[in-house]
Amino acid sequence: MIATVQQVLEMALGRLIQTVTAFVPPLLAGLAILLSAFVIARLARWVLNRIFKGIVLDRFLYRSGISSLFDSSGRLRATRIVSTSAYWIILGAGALTALSAFDTELTTQMVATTVFLFPKLVTAGAILLAGVWLAQYLGRGALVWASNEGIPACRKLAAAVRVVVVFVAVVVAADHLNFARSVFLAAFILLVGGATLAASIAIGFGARGAAARCFEPRRDDELSEVERPVWHHL
Amino acid sequence: MPGDGIPEDSLRRLGELGKADIVVGIPSYNNARTIGHVVRAVQAGLAKHFPQFTSVIVNSDGGSTDGTREAVLAAEVGDERLLMLSTPALPAHRLSLAYHGISGKGSAFRLVFQIAEALGARACAVADSDLRSITPEWIELLLRPVLYGGYDFVAPYYHRHKYDGTITNSIVYPLTRSLYGLRVRQPIGGDFGVSRAMLRRYLERPDWETDVARYGIDIWMTTIALAEGFRVCQSFLGAKLHDAKDPGSDLSAMLHQVVGSVFLLMQEYEPVWRARQGSQPADLFGFRFDVGLDPVAVNLERMLAALARGAQDLAEVWSLALEGETIETLRRLARDAVRDPAAFHLPDELWARIIFDFAGAHRSRPLERTHLLKSLTPLYLGRVASWVVEAEKLGAAEVEERIERLCLCFEERKPYLLARYAGQPGAAPALAETRPEARPREEGMEVSP
Repeated sequence: MIATVQQVLEMALGRLIQTVTAFVPPLLAGLAILLSAFVIARLARWVLNRIFKGIVLDRFLYRSGISSLFDSSGRLRATRIVSTSAYWIILGAGALTALSAFDTELTTQMVATTVFLFPKLVTAGAILLAGVWLAQYLGRGALVWASNEGIPACRKLAAAVRVVVVFVAVVVAADHLNFARSVFLAAFILLVGGATLAASIAIGFGARGAAARCFEPRRDDELSEVERPVWHHL
Repeated sequence: MPGDGIPEDSLRRLGELGKADIVVGIPSYNNARTIGHVVRAVQAGLAKHFPQFTSVIVNSDGGSTDGTREAVLAAEVGDERLLMLSTPALPAHRLSLAYHGISGKGSAFRLVFQIAEALGARACAVADSDLRSITPEWIELLLRPVLYGGYDFVAPYYHRHKYDGTITNSIVYPLTRSLYGLRVRQPIGGDFGVSRAMLRRYLERPDWETDVARYGIDIWMTTIALAEGFRVCQSFLGAKLHDAKDPGSDLSAMLHQVVGSVFLLMQEYEPVWRARQGSQPADLFGFRFDVGLDPVAVNLERMLAALARGAQDLAEVWSLALEGETIETLRRLARDAVRDPAAFHLPDELWARIIFDFAGAHRSRPLERTHLLKSLTPLYLGRVASWVVEAEKLGAAEVEERIERLCLCFEERKPYLLARYAGQPGAAPALAETRPEARPREEGMEVSP
């Protein structure tokens, strides 16, 4: 009995030693790689912060309005973008290298998937960025138009425009990544269908009054009272 | 090359005419009611003051459907004895042509200039087709400085009602004067005289397809003349009385096109205006006299409501151009205006700063230009409201003094514009907190001439 127990314990210990000897060196190697990547990433960020002066890129970011998307002061610097991007890319590459040190089926698959997905992730990120920029542009356009036309709740209208455009960008990005494609598409179709229905009803109600007004003869004094005053002095 | 860009049908007519010394252009769009008077005045002016020259009157029409072109061709001066001519006059030829391209006053002018160039005209004048106060003397005053004085550009100088021409008085005149250093009182007057050299310069420009094709044409012509060193003068024409603007047209577009053109030209001529300081009076021809003016109705409450709405909703867009402190001041003014419209006052210093900030932002944020220009509308209406309150009891001379003060304010603060244009925050000039004495407001704000 004791011999059996001893045998089992020896076998368990052996397996533990085998596991430790199989995984600890890669783990240590992985940690060392990660640590090195972290140090290199920090160093790269520090160096880039000091040597990179993206004046042209700064101007582009400012003039295109991209800087104001991420920084309310609108003064996001190209240096910061470049150094932060370099930092995260080096750190990400370090993490993948650290994972590949384990050389297991799972880690190999993870690394392969990440490498395979990277271009798609970059494209999806670009789609989202463009979507957010477009949402801001169209939202501002809607805001100014609605305010000048005296339409109530114009900030809500602008927010709605932004939400719709960002949502469309998310749908396109998700479709590109092949991620929950059917869910996003169904939601998108529901949203567009609902908006179309609401717009049709609104136009229908509005058109009734407009048509009635169209058939009524308009008097000159009505024009002068209603439409001239604000701009008449031009 | 003469004839380039002129529509085929117009070229045939020009071939029949051969050459001309003077071309007078009248742009039109559905102006059948008033254009006959303008054509008669031009015809009489040419016969009376320039009988020795061959002249052509060109109506450049934007597709009128109310018989405008027929009215042009049918207009007759009538009994020539009434003109008391000392010598028999050559009859002025008349053309009524449809221009092609973008619809707008600028495209109409382009065709007129192309025809003038093709005919080898020594001088060209343009006059609006909705004028009710044009007389034959206007033609002499617009053309004589070109033909006999060696001037290249003759700007009009009118008496206008104090509430008329508010884009001119509050933005275009002060800004143009402070930038280019010459006091051209009506830079977007609409009636001009130009030399052959000047119209050649206009025709060789590549920017005819921009806002210049629309309402931007007037300031474009004036600015090029001022910035490129052409000889510029003014002629006193009396009163400017014209048809009320079509209430259906988008008049806010006029503001955006005019101000957008000013800002665009600022970029092109930055080295020119950076070097200029102060301002000089421009030569003024014609005998000055006082005239009666049509009253102009304004709606103070609606203008202030537009400002209040803008202050409430547009801070996000204004922040692209204005500093936080300026937006806060505007919000406070808009709140106060709701409580007491009759005491509303938007100080000159603040207004100059707003315009300079928008000019700077227009340069540095090309993708946001449309939003910026459109968000200027409530600010402009606020400024007009302030002017209406302030000028209510002022006479014509006092109004001019008041506009002069605004212009000086723009000139004094030009260093701020230079700083903003260079992308620096600029030392914000202190805001005057003084308000004009609040006056009791009359019902309806209708002012008699």
